[in-house]
Amino acid sequence: MLHAIDGSLEAYLDLLSVRQKLMATNIANADTPGYKTRDVDFQTEFRSLLEGGQPHATEVTGLKVNNDGNNVSLDREARLLAENALRFSAVSQLVRGQIRILKSAIDEGKNG
Amino acid sequence: MSLFSALSISASGMSAQRTRAELVTENLANAETTRTPEGGPYRRKDAVFQTESVGSPFASVMNSAMDEGAGGVSVAEILVDKREPEQRYMPGHPDAGVNGYVAYPRVNPAEEMVDLMSASNGYQANVASMSALKEMILRSIDLLR
Amino acid sequence: MPLSISSLTSAIPVAGHAAVNAAPIAGKSTDFASLLNGAIQGVEQPRQEANQAIQNLLNGDEELHTVALAAQRADLAFDLGLQVRNKIVSAYQEIMRMQL
Repeated sequence: MLHAIDGSLEAYLDLLSVRQKLMATNIANADTPGYKTRDVDFQTEFRSLLEGGQPHATEVTGLKVNNDGNNVSLDREARLLAENALRFSAVSQLVRGQIRILKSAIDEGKNG
Repeated sequence: MSLFSALSISASGMSAQRTRAELVTENLANAETTRTPEGGPYRRKDAVFQTESVGSPFASVMNSAMDEGAGGVSVAEILVDKREPEQRYMPGHPDAGVNGYVAYPRVNPAEEMVDLMSASNGYQANVASMSALKEMILRSIDLLR
Repeated sequence: MPLSISSLTSAIPVAGHAAVNAAPIAGKSTDFASLLNGAIQGVEQPRQEANQAIQNLLNGDEELHTVALAAQRADLAFDLGLQVRNKIVSAYQEIMRMQL
């Protein structure tokens, strides 16, 4: 019953963390010659996490490569960075809500 | 690798971009330096970035396949310009050679400024990255309340 | 947050003796002792998982949100276990009162 603190919400938070670390790496290496942007295919990896797998990062395709082989787009990274942080905030709020509900349910029993 | 160690990734990015900006400043300041202690004109410097694996303060073994290649950045080396210096014909100049040419640094202020802006943007982006990571860590702490 | 469950177990010796007498009267296969044990087992696993998560965090191997959720689960399990234990003990005491 207590895994009603949704296991899938926790997996979502896990994946967001993984993704944020990749964004941080991409941004730190925005000027490293030859560096290729890495990311996770969110939906695929989320489903895989729910089945107990480990997330995998892959190289992102379709990005413009500049003269020294680097393909990091700071615009892309900045956008995703913000999006990730907001999602993490939203989902962690949802989890807190669930915890609160369970706590109330248990405490009600005290007086029942 | 936890979110905490990811903070050091952003920090390394900030550090590398700062080094780069400092080199640009040095290049610009010495754009007209014809005489250096090592002899000859100033030679411009450039930072070469390299991806690094990051250890964290609480480091343990990195055992996730995810962590391969993920990591911060460091300045692998500082490249000193090996090109022939620019020669300008200035016969009266104290550093002129027998033929009247003075060797000047190959520093192009416009290029240096572009580099500087790039370093500045990069620095800002790493700051934003660190903020976002910190935000997520704080939200995680909220889960404990 | 190492939880001690000794407070939960303090009622057990009493329940243990009387469970033998209580079972035939209750007429069910679940006696008080095993009900209490069930409540306590439900606490033990989340508690261990939380302690393990904390260890991992200290070793740098775990995300903070994972530890937070494990700790919350352990907290909730403990609360629930405590409430269930209290209910069982008071129900038992009521039955004992009736027998006199």
